[in-house]
Formats: sequence, structure tokens, C-alpha cells
Amino acid sequence: MTPLERVVREEWGRLTALLLARYRRLDLVEDALGDAVTAAAARWPTAGSPDDPAAWLLTTARRRIIDRLRAEQVAARRAPLLAVETERRGDGTVRADPGGLVEDDRLRLVLMCAHPALAPDAASALALRLVLGVSTHDIARLFLVTESTMAARLTRAKKKIVAAAIPFAVPGADALPARVDIIARTAYLAFTAGYAPGSGPDLLRTELAGEAVRLVRLVRGLLPDQPALTALLALVLVQHSRRDARVDGSGRLVLLRDQDRTRWHADEVDEALVLLNDPALTGRLDAAAESYVLQARIALEHAMAPSPEETRWDRIVACYDLLLGIDPSPGARVARAVALAEAHGPEAGLDALSGVEMPGSHRIDAVAAELLARAGRVSEAMAAYDRAISLCHNEVERTHLERRRASIRGSEA
Amino acid sequence: MTGYVYFLAYEPTYWDDLPIEDQKRIYADHEAFHAFIRDRGTLVASAALADADVATTVRQDGRRQVTVTDGPFAETTEMIGGYYEVELPDLDTALEGAALLPRQYTVEIRPTIAIDPL
Repeated sequence: MTPLERVVREEWGRLTALLLARYRRLDLVEDALGDAVTAAAARWPTAGSPDDPAAWLLTTARRRIIDRLRAEQVAARRAPLLAVETERRGDGTVRADPGGLVEDDRLRLVLMCAHPALAPDAASALALRLVLGVSTHDIARLFLVTESTMAARLTRAKKKIVAAAIPFAVPGADALPARVDIIARTAYLAFTAGYAPGSGPDLLRTELAGEAVRLVRLVRGLLPDQPALTALLALVLVQHSRRDARVDGSGRLVLLRDQDRTRWHADEVDEALVLLNDPALTGRLDAAAESYVLQARIALEHAMAPSPEETRWDRIVACYDLLLGIDPSPGARVARAVALAEAHGPEAGLDALSGVEMPGSHRIDAVAAELLARAGRVSEAMAAYDRAISLCHNEVERTHLERRRASIRGSEA
Repeated sequence: MTGYVYFLAYEPTYWDDLPIEDQKRIYADHEAFHAFIRDRGTLVASAALADADVATTVRQDGRRQVTVTDGPFAETTEMIGGYYEVELPDLDTALEGAALLPRQYTVEIRPTIAIDPL
């Protein structure tokens, strides 16, 4: 990574937050930082990188913003400002002590991006853009939309922030837990979009998942006492640790039980284990934190089993029982059915599947097909595979389903 | 400060079946809201609206032909029953205020804009 790439990757959120706090112009800050990066890309290779790349970018961006403000004053335009906490206004200079204040500003930025008044997919994209500095082009690719669609989505979100005066602020203590919930869901949405995308040719987009992990880490660093974030980090780390084993050399899906476990990142699993033992996770947890803890425990049962045969399915079923008590989502019910089938046979899993509905998704039919095939109910399995294939939009998954269907065709009675 | 209008929407018949205790609570909710707005900003204007079935809608076609019809312009299950126009520091404050309003309402919060003269 070049020094410029590194400073963009690591400092974008901090620089954005500082400039937003000072100038309150969401429209200008991003452009100014972008221009500064362009100038650096032209200048640094020949003139050499500055001693403090972040400060260089900050100074250059500030100059651009001030130039634009002057031009606007001449044109007598008044643009709407971000609502910023009152004690920050009126202070004309950037604070001398960047330490704690910088963390507060980045937290304000994250909270602004994850505001409940923003649509969830807009919130995820905005967080990646403003907090992590991922380019609009890359975000579009990661979410499988065109660049112009993503640019419009980001523009609309920023317009909403300014027009409705979504504040660049840390809310009161009673409002904070609900907002942390949203941040966690926003980050997890970005992660699952990279972990198990519903459509498109590539089964995995590990870069998006990796960026989401980075976002969770960053937010957890800003809010270290929020159990939901610790639990979520554990969960995404374990799921992410399998990224190099989930697709084989030919780009085909590899099921969990067939994955080469030596390709799982053991250090990330270890980190997740430590996180789950964090004191923040003892005692009563709210539903969101508890849900992430249980999902992380389930993921860890897989990660710690030396071989698929040694997986403690009974413990996994027990975790799902608890999870369904808090958050009875169809996805969790399907996953529990799979675990039940492993622990007690396919008929038990099929019983657990009855009544579960996931409109528009191929997942239930895919799981039912697998279990029916294991139970020897071949013609029913074929019908279920047909339904699953017709509903599946992900090419890698669909190929897998078609191969499974073809392989059981031979055992038709 | 940002200007907002709160549109208060509810089922047209919700008030009729309400026990007296709940009706009193609705009045109290509005008073709490008033106090909140005065404390954090300004109450610019407000009105309670008669039911949508006594509304009159006016449309004009391209040739200044005016059509007058009985009823509201949007047929929805909930009707707009009132509004508040306020000035508040930011959306979070506006949302805090909205939480004080009666739970029977659906509330839309829309920022106001200034129209510059051409």
C-alpha cells in the first residue's frame, strides 16, 4: 500500500469528521477531501510523501473549502449547514487537542450515518463512504448496483441529513442504546451483503465483508462499553474467518462440512473467543446483544470443531432455541431446522421447517430439498430443488443447487 | 433552528370509541408536546382539522377549468387530523417531541423550506 492509500484507508473517517465539525457543509467536505487526494496522487510520487500525510490532506482540503465558501459569499448563496451541537459553534478555530475530540467527532459521524431517519441500505452505504472512505464506485460494486444508482442513493441520504437537520451529534444517554442498535444492524447489513449476497455471479464479496468488520471495530473502539458491538465483532470475525474456504478454486460453493478447515483464519477465531469472554458480556444483555452473542456462539461451535463429525449440534440447537426466544426470524428457524437435522436426522429437520416462510427466498426450498434427499424422499426432493433453483438469483449458488439435483436424480425409484 | 411541520394522522373513528380516561390522556399528551416545543424551540402555528369527509377538493385542468369535488384529495385509511408548525434545533429534538404525542397517531415530520423570491 502506498502512503496515500494507507492514509486514505485509515484516516478518511477522522478527517471527514473533523472537517464536518468545523465547516458543517456535508456537500463541500467530501469534494474537498477528494480533491486533496487527487492533488496528493499527483504530487507525492514525485515530491515525496509528507511527514504527516493526514495533516497535509487536512490542510489542502481546508483550503479548498475556504475557497468555495468565499466563492459562495460572492455569489450571495446560502447553503444549509449541518446541525452541530451548540457548544461547538462560534469557535472559529480547529481545537488544539485532537485526541478525545477526534474520537467524539468520528462517533458523531457514525451516529449521523446510522440515524433511524435514513433508509437502512442508505445508512450502510453512507457509513462505508464517509466513515471508511470506500469510493462510491467500490460501494456500488459491492452492493451490486450501478455507480450512478449508488451515487444517487448517497446524494439522497446526504440531502435528507441536511434538509431534515439530522444532527452531527452524540444523542443523550437514554437515546444512545437504540442508536447503537442501528449502527450494529447497519454494519451487519454491510457484512451480510458481502458474506452471503443474494444475487450476482460471485458467491462472496470478501472485500465488503472485510470493510464491514473494520467498521464494527472502529465503532466498538469509539463505544467500548456497548455489549452489542463486542458481541457483533465476535460474530463477524468468526464468519469472516471462513472466507478463504467457502469457494473452491473453480469458484464453486463449498458447504461448511466440506470446507478445508486449515484455510479458516484461526487467529480471528481466537480473537472472537476472547471477545465472547469479555466482562461487558456478562450479566443481563438487551435483546440485540444477546442475539449477537448466541449467533457468535453458534458460529464458534463450528469454528472449534476439529472435524465436521465432531460438531456439537446439540449445543447449536440449544443456542437456536434461545435465539428464537428473542428473535424468531425465519432465517433463524431455518438454521435451527438444519441443526436439528444434523443432531436428530432429516425428518426432525423437516418437521421444524413446516410453517416457516421466507417470501422470495430460495433458502427454505434449498434446505428442504437437501433434507428430503437425505430422507430418501427423492421425488419430493427434486420438486423442492426445482422451486429453489427458480428462486435463486446467485449464479454460484444456483449452479450448486443444479448439481445437487442432478446427483440425486440417479437414485429416483 | 429548522422549521418542521408535524402532520398528525389517525383513523377517522378512533376518538368515538375511546373511553373518557384515554381521551383525557390525549389532551394531556398534547399539553406535554406544547410544553416541550416551547421549551426547546418555537410553536409557530397549529390547527385541529375537521374530518376528511367534510373536505372539499379543487383541481384545475390546463384551461383554467375548475373542478370542485366533495372529499379529500388523497383517499387513505388514516386521515390528516391536525398539524403543528414548529422551529426546533434538529431532527432528534423533533423526534423527541413526536414521542410525546398520542400513541394513536401516525406522525409525519416534514422540514419547511424558505421560498426565495425570484
